[in-house]
Amino acid sequence: MAGSGTAHMRNSVDSVLTVRDLTVEFKISKDKVVKAVSGLSFDVVKGETLAVVGESGCGKTTLARAILQLPPPNSGEVIFNGTDLTSLPKENLRSARTSMQMIFQDPISSLDPRMTVQQLIDEPLEIWGRGTREERNERINTLLNNVGLEPELVLNRRSYEFSGGQCQRISIARALALDPRMLICDEPVSALDVSIQAQILNLLQDMKDQFGLTMVFISHDLAVVKAVSDRVMVMYLGKICEIATPEALYSKPAHHYTKALLDSVPIADPTRQKITELLQGEPPSPMNPPTGCRFRTRCHAATARCAEQEPQLREVSPGQFVACHHPIV
Amino acid sequence: MSSLLSIKNLGVNFDTPRGSLEAVRGVDIEIPAGTSVGVVGESGSGKTVMCRAAMGLLQGSNVQRTGTVVFDGNELTAMTKEQVRDLFGSGMAMIFQDPMTALNPVRRIGSQISEGLRVRLGMNKKDAMVRSKELLELVRIPNPTAVLKSFPYQLSGGMRQRVMIAIAIACNPKLLFADEPTTALDVTVQAQILQLLRELREDLKMSMVLVTHDLGVVAGNTDYVAVMYAGEVVEYAPTTKLFADMRMPYTEALLESIPKIDHKSGTRLSVIAGRLPNPTDRGVGCGFAPRCKYAQEKCHTQHPELQKDPDGHLYRCWFPIGKAL
Amino acid sequence: MRKFTKPTWLAIGWLSLMMFFAIFGWALPFKSWNFVYEDDLEVGLFTNGHILGTDSNGYDLFASIVAGTRMSIFIAIAAVGLGGLIGSVLGITAAYVRGKVDTVMVTIFNVGLSVPNLVLALALVSVLATNVDINQAVPTWRRVMVLIMSLTIVLIPILGRIARGATLSWTGREFVTAARSMGMRDSKIITKHIVPNVLPALIAVAFLAVGVVIIVEASLSILGVGIPDGASWGGMIARGRNDLEYAPHVLYVPIAFLALSVISTNHLGDVVRSQLDSREAKV
Repeated sequence: MAGSGTAHMRNSVDSVLTVRDLTVEFKISKDKVVKAVSGLSFDVVKGETLAVVGESGCGKTTLARAILQLPPPNSGEVIFNGTDLTSLPKENLRSARTSMQMIFQDPISSLDPRMTVQQLIDEPLEIWGRGTREERNERINTLLNNVGLEPELVLNRRSYEFSGGQCQRISIARALALDPRMLICDEPVSALDVSIQAQILNLLQDMKDQFGLTMVFISHDLAVVKAVSDRVMVMYLGKICEIATPEALYSKPAHHYTKALLDSVPIADPTRQKITELLQGEPPSPMNPPTGCRFRTRCHAATARCAEQEPQLREVSPGQFVACHHPIV
Repeated sequence: MSSLLSIKNLGVNFDTPRGSLEAVRGVDIEIPAGTSVGVVGESGSGKTVMCRAAMGLLQGSNVQRTGTVVFDGNELTAMTKEQVRDLFGSGMAMIFQDPMTALNPVRRIGSQISEGLRVRLGMNKKDAMVRSKELLELVRIPNPTAVLKSFPYQLSGGMRQRVMIAIAIACNPKLLFADEPTTALDVTVQAQILQLLRELREDLKMSMVLVTHDLGVVAGNTDYVAVMYAGEVVEYAPTTKLFADMRMPYTEALLESIPKIDHKSGTRLSVIAGRLPNPTDRGVGCGFAPRCKYAQEKCHTQHPELQKDPDGHLYRCWFPIGKAL
Repeated sequence: MRKFTKPTWLAIGWLSLMMFFAIFGWALPFKSWNFVYEDDLEVGLFTNGHILGTDSNGYDLFASIVAGTRMSIFIAIAAVGLGGLIGSVLGITAAYVRGKVDTVMVTIFNVGLSVPNLVLALALVSVLATNVDINQAVPTWRRVMVLIMSLTIVLIPILGRIARGATLSWTGREFVTAARSMGMRDSKIITKHIVPNVLPALIAVAFLAVGVVIIVEASLSILGVGIPDGASWGGMIARGRNDLEYAPHVLYVPIAFLALSVISTNHLGDVVRSQLDSREAKV
């Protein structure tokens, strides 16, 4: 499995975000380096929702932060709206960022508890001087209505007075304030109750349709991802395993890790319980990833070649790319 | 089939600065011996409070518990704290959602496992360590000798959960309470842990109460399911029957709204409108009525009692859905 | 003003009284605190119009207390204010910027914390605020400045550490990342997001610090390096040391005021902290 390889890149003129060879590493001590993301490349086309799926330690959250340059990656390019964010000077980066907004996992801690909803949503507008006070207030009301909240009821209250779902709506309203082109959603519904998840997912979908947004949707929940994505990218230990459309990925996974992930998801139907061989063991430490294919230590199809040579992404069926020497056929 | 655990009319009230909070009311559940019962609910449903109350783990001067809990012939609600505590270990045991906070971060794993063995079974230090190693092998931890000497922070989430299971089964309990045991774990680790629990239940002839919000987990790991909403049990049936022929609109709505792996991508999810109920203000009528698409006048004004179908299927609804009997 | 208990109201009342003395004490109809009532030496409480009695020099104790309040409170507030300001600026910056700056700052803090405050004050006073000829008095304001300076130096690392710790925990929150992604400048993030959230913790500690500083200042006076003309509570204790046998009230009066003031500030500091904690618990 590799993150190397660019066979899956579409090099389209419609590309909103193109990431090339992104590497993020954290130095813990003199000889201990955490290789969170290693040489990742991918692109997202206008109007598309790219889902990034993986378990803890795969590097997906690090990837999200690196795209925003918070903090900037160790190497690689992040080309957004035609400009490479990694090479932008600080001031230009500040303004470039406003086109790309992020929704976070913990709804309550993503809002400053000392500020009212009015102040929270006004903040981005005020920083960039988007209109007079009246104009801004009107915009805030519109945004709140868009996300299904009644302005009179919420404007003067603070984050701790709301439920998780409502806080997430406020975050979405805030993120949309500056008319971004792209939204990065980092596990936006993981912390919410099951019956609320559907509401927020539908809201994100509606906002995307209404404003023509492009989305990067990060999650560990494969079922959630299937409902919202146009393209799914599976990560493991800082590398890409497989990238394909949801239909292809879910019905005919080509990578052994993808298959293991899908087999592990519990099905809400007692008559359809699978008895499959489960993935054993734990992921290796990102400080010491295995040579060659990083998944080989847990893969029952691993051969000697997997240890020596890092697999590159290649197309196994139209639109489906996998980084594996022995993909599932 | 005799009941291993019988909960009748359990109610739990908390005194808070904002008023009396009714976390659990009128819960009736029978756990037959040798079965696994799932308790499904969202935030505020009272599922965790109910389990803690049943085990007598709720403490504090602001807690009032009513009702009876009978475990293996012993009436827990009439016993003293010390008497109930004696039942822990070999009678009942519990595993929790977050292993990091359930394990003592400053003690080594070996010492934490053997403590229960020494206190409950009177083993000496050496024998307890040997047994601890056996227990770690039982829960499929690789390299048990090294793990015995480790501290919790050195282990991954999945390993810590296995350690917690090892501690819980150390004295061979008859009943295991599992409170969201896999919610904080990755999906592949979750599958491993659930498989482990299934095998342990069979090998040790152990019953289980599995508390979760995940209907998928319940579908594959339980014989019976109790659905809780707003502090009450609103439906109780064998698992296969519940999924095939549910009676509660809430259960149906819940099942429809969760994203499923075989869902067609790009379509909207069906949604339960409204918000979860406020535990300080239960109001009259059915707790789910404000959000129920089938709700009628009676639902908003009269609180539904628990009804029972001839086959034992329990539900709390004036206008149950499902196939007519 | 949620449900304050009686002790809290007492504490607030006491400190308000002290503040009143400090600010308006000079307007009260007393003769100067070191006016000698020659006929009333060492009289007890409530004698001859002296509410709290007099000491062996004939000074009216109540007048002395009022005069001393001004000095003690002024020094305490000045030291805590300055120390808090400088300390929190350093601590917040260090925690926000991280890296080498943070490491250096922490080392500076640790060095500062290792110096005992009394010894430092003694050293500074003897070098900066004492004439070579010890019989020649030094202007009071100079002493006061040096005292405030030495107490400030001691307080900077203490309050700086609190500020740094609080900042570290708040910077990790996602709303700070959100602010950065909105294009907010770092300086604005600090003033608009970090400082208002860190302030309550600082205020709680500041209250406690005020209590400590009052005692330290009194200790210095007893040691003889406080305010030279003795217009402070510590000075009263220093003067009254020898009266313990025959006129104990001369000592008890300043000690009582000292104790009550410190208890009050400590209590209010606790109240602020617990209000803050209960707010945090909701978040």
